[in-house]
Amino acid sequence: MRKPDSTKALGIGIAGLAVTALGMLVSPPHVVATAYLVGIGFWTAIAIGMLMMILLHHIFDASWSVVLRRQYEHGIAAFPWLLLLFVPLLAASWLGPRDLIWPWMNPDHQIIGGHLVKDDLLYVKKRAFLNLPLFTIVTMGFFAAWIWISARLRKASFTQDVDGDVKWTFMSGKTAGFGIPLLALTLTGAAIYWFKSLEYHWFSTMYGVWFFANCMRGALSSGVLIMLWLYRRGDFKGILKTDHLWAIGQMMLTFTVFWAYISFSQYFLIWNANVPEETFWYNIREYGDWWYVSLFLVFGNFLLPFLLLLSYRYKVTHRTIRRIAYLVLFVIFVDISYNILPALQDKSGNPQPFFSVNLIWAVTSVVGVGGICIAAYLRDLPKTKLIPIHDPRIGDCLNHDD
Amino acid sequence: MAEKPYGLIATFETPGALMRAAEQVRDAGYRRWDCITPFPIHGLDKAMGVGRSRVPRISLLGGITGFCTGMSMIWFMDSYDYGLTVGGKPLFSPLYAFPVSYELTILFTAFATIGGMFFLNGLPMHYHPVLNYDKIRRGTDDLFFIVIERVDPRFSDDNTRALLAKAGGADITEIEA
Repeated sequence: MRKPDSTKALGIGIAGLAVTALGMLVSPPHVVATAYLVGIGFWTAIAIGMLMMILLHHIFDASWSVVLRRQYEHGIAAFPWLLLLFVPLLAASWLGPRDLIWPWMNPDHQIIGGHLVKDDLLYVKKRAFLNLPLFTIVTMGFFAAWIWISARLRKASFTQDVDGDVKWTFMSGKTAGFGIPLLALTLTGAAIYWFKSLEYHWFSTMYGVWFFANCMRGALSSGVLIMLWLYRRGDFKGILKTDHLWAIGQMMLTFTVFWAYISFSQYFLIWNANVPEETFWYNIREYGDWWYVSLFLVFGNFLLPFLLLLSYRYKVTHRTIRRIAYLVLFVIFVDISYNILPALQDKSGNPQPFFSVNLIWAVTSVVGVGGICIAAYLRDLPKTKLIPIHDPRIGDCLNHDD
Repeated sequence: MAEKPYGLIATFETPGALMRAAEQVRDAGYRRWDCITPFPIHGLDKAMGVGRSRVPRISLLGGITGFCTGMSMIWFMDSYDYGLTVGGKPLFSPLYAFPVSYELTILFTAFATIGGMFFLNGLPMHYHPVLNYDKIRRGTDDLFFIVIERVDPRFSDDNTRALLAKAGGADITEIEA
């Protein structure tokens, strides 16, 4: 295959990060750093989803996704870079103002109502969990787990390309056995620590599952875009079949419904119980233009993709499924912004509007982190064979027929 | 009473032979015909020129009906016919009606799918003319058949017989209606 050019992606990534950094001249550092968390969250979700897709492929001994799996194996090369991009947030919390992003990191942070974090009963109760040393250790642990699982899967798959030994497939099966629970726990922990703790008064048992749903949707949509991109380049001519797109489109539909199911459950239980400790989170998100963002999530994140993905023709037509994939990636960005950005509040505790300068830094950080992740993928892509030619299921995949 | 025959049936020994024959019958433009096999054969639908099933459209109608039924039933009962305030909530809200509507969506979709499949396949069917054929039991065991109905516009006894023979069919037999 022709070697793809990764320098452009790298350039766009560095430019995006630079603009985000320069944003601190315009907006308070606290705002820019929180917006940067959106960029990290968006791309970490996609990388986690890709890792989960590889593990699911192995645990089910699936055949249709062998070719797609190789692309995901390149995609998860982004984890070390995501760790590197996360380090500034940790460094700022240790060295700079401790409450740069997460208010509970500074016991003297003044919360709405006038009193300090250290006098807040919920903080006192959750202090064993909400402290900077544990946050740092656990975040490092999350990345270590993801990089380790990725390394095992990549080594097994890439070595099999050379020696054709079937033992690598069994090894990946075992990796999947312990990797899926490990990944489930770590991604839940990451969602709670990184995003949910921004408003640490809140309770929700659905939060980890919410993040997982976005991880899977992000990985599936990226998978569609990667396969169609390789087809356009000519690499996947004769490899990509209609039934591959159908299979991945069905999974996109599944996780659209899954996202709606858990998001609705979270909202519905809180609405029904009507306890102030929980409802404040949604009250904030009905203030100002966040109300329209909420409605956009109901219709744009669920109803529209759901109706479009019901159709067989839309799932297998390149033009339509590509647009649906872009739509889903866009709504995931909105959803992650919806969960993070309302933590930026004015003096009276109302969230700063969605359509504000804050959104610009969220977009530039998504571009910045994304450029780095895509460059990592593109640099990794030519290092191995395009498809895992010695995988025991490669024949089934190439002749996949539903 | 001498009724007009149902059509012609031919036997094939292997799935491959059946597949190639089905392609020839398809390309000859026949519409009213079928293959009988002891087990599902991947790709036979393409070889026969059968399009995608129309059952999903009936399923979608069932789902929409179910959703609307759930919403309107709860609105009617809790808000219109016998308003009852529970937990300080509004008399009607799509939020609390949603779980039930969603369950009914699934239930009605399932009913419509099963019912639609039965309807489109003409089930239940207690009698079929091919059952008159003495070898038909082997169609559940080790033999493959193509049967072409007489009502097909392209059917003519000589030409159809010749086509089946050319396609490799053996034992070409006329079936009583």
